[in-house]
Amino acid sequence: MPLPWRQVFYTLGFAALSIFVLQVVTGFLLLIFYIPEPSRAFKSVQRIMTTIPYGWLFRLIHVVGSYLLVAVVMVHMLSVFFMNSYKKPRELTWITGALLLLITLTFCLSGYLLPWSQLSYWATTIATAMPTAFPYVGGFVSDLLRGGATVSGATLGRFFALHVGILPAALLVVLGLHLFLIRRIGVSAPPFGAAQEEKKEWTEFHHDSHPGGEPFFPHYVLKETVMVMVLLAVMFFIIAFIPTLFLPEDTNLPADPFQTPEHIKPEWYFLAPYQMLKLIPNKFVGVSLQLIIVGLFLVWPLLDTSKQENILKRPALLAAFGAALCLWIGLTIWGKYS
Amino acid sequence: MRGLLAVLLFLVLATPAAAASVCLVCHSSAMMKPEFRKVYQQWKESWHAQNNVSCNDCHGGDPKDATNAMSPQRGFLGVPKPAAVPEFCGKCHIAIAKDYLKSGHGKALMTNGTGPNCVTCHGAHDVQKARLGIINVTLCSKCHSYERAQLMKEALFGTEEKIGTISGELQTIRSNGLDVENDAKTLFRTQAQYRALFHTVDVNLVKSQTSSFNASLDTLQKRAQVFLQDLAFRRNFAGFLLLLFAAMGVAAFLLSKTYKR
Repeated sequence: MPLPWRQVFYTLGFAALSIFVLQVVTGFLLLIFYIPEPSRAFKSVQRIMTTIPYGWLFRLIHVVGSYLLVAVVMVHMLSVFFMNSYKKPRELTWITGALLLLITLTFCLSGYLLPWSQLSYWATTIATAMPTAFPYVGGFVSDLLRGGATVSGATLGRFFALHVGILPAALLVVLGLHLFLIRRIGVSAPPFGAAQEEKKEWTEFHHDSHPGGEPFFPHYVLKETVMVMVLLAVMFFIIAFIPTLFLPEDTNLPADPFQTPEHIKPEWYFLAPYQMLKLIPNKFVGVSLQLIIVGLFLVWPLLDTSKQENILKRPALLAAFGAALCLWIGLTIWGKYS
Repeated sequence: MRGLLAVLLFLVLATPAAAASVCLVCHSSAMMKPEFRKVYQQWKESWHAQNNVSCNDCHGGDPKDATNAMSPQRGFLGVPKPAAVPEFCGKCHIAIAKDYLKSGHGKALMTNGTGPNCVTCHGAHDVQKARLGIINVTLCSKCHSYERAQLMKEALFGTEEKIGTISGELQTIRSNGLDVENDAKTLFRTQAQYRALFHTVDVNLVKSQTSSFNASLDTLQKRAQVFLQDLAFRRNFAGFLLLLFAAMGVAAFLLSKTYKR
């Protein structure tokens, strides 16, 4: 088993799963009172916040939970990358994990429109205009997403179906595969220290054995419980003391297609690609570049054929990883304050 | 082609109505005389601009057609004469204009043209949100002694302060995502009626009717207090859950330390 301080990174998958379960539960409760129809959607959300007993709690858990989920999944992916845990035989585990991150982001994007507020309407207008950068198919894709030339009731219906029907089904399939692979292949040991030296090439399938390691129950379950409790404490800190952190003023105004708010910016996790698109003058080049980056991220284990699993012994990859991370953080900050 | 249409439509829809006005294009250009260019700057920082009241809403005309923007056939009114200002502003501020015309101010303006009109106190293009501070020695003393104006200001003070307090409370509640639209509308209506009453500049009338306005405001304030108490409960409840999960986290951590590797 990894050294104690590194065990934190081994609790993130379970933490992400726990928040996802919370999202499902609160999502079901919201679903009872939410009305996916443009003239009633905003009021139904306000009703949840105002008169439904503890509706405010379920909604705020759902809102804050979505941000925490993205953050936890991102850190989880970063730690897996840094520890090179995606290498053989865990390539498919990485690919399913990366798909889960993309599905999570699509969940956020589709859920963003549902309150039918000024922010959600205009943010979705910008997001669904992005495919138009592509000639021939761009307009079709945009129309397909919107159900017309502009964001309208048809878009709300589509995004609602995506959010509560298609995406959960897709996520359950990919999550099931991800968990199956983890159970089948096992969790990788960190590529540092003595355990790494003892590793041998696989010649046939066998479950990993960890002589001298800690049992999953109760040792590891308790560590994962600690991480989940920390995340829940963070969640309720935000709900108690900064409940409007993720709900700015434009979320309290109903969508008005004829009144554009002054400053529409995407959420923090989309700020880097947003700023990147602003910096690249050609929209087609910008969007294409981003799709290539997503593609590389998805199939990275198939491209990285090096036998060396310790990233500290691969200065070029380490430098590229550090530079990409700094660039992402830099673009996010720039996007926030630009 | 469809993509281009979508982008164009987006750009059109994304442009606020006021910003699309051709009036602003000319009045902000360097070709315009400074005194006319100033009009745009003043409007830009005005309460009207903040509420999307554009040039054509007051002056008429066609804000989408540069050639005919100032054509009388398109309803362009131009600059009103002083006596026509109440009617000009009264297109929107109906109740206030009605009470103003019954007042000493209105009668003086309409009979011999000496009374103050709307812009005398509120300004024209640089009009700001009406505040009690408009009643001041400098402004009122231009035409008459301040004593009577001061009496009016004192009569208004308590109610205006209450309106400001409730407005702030409703804003706090609304920014937390709660539905207070009906209360905000009631407050707006009460405030508008009260301010219309003030434009009669009849201190006795204001004093006699203030109690009924205050009763209505008290009802609103009680409702706002209920919402604020609810927000306080929410903070405390979430705070309790924070402590609960933090404690459970600490307990799980300490328990994990009791197991040997």
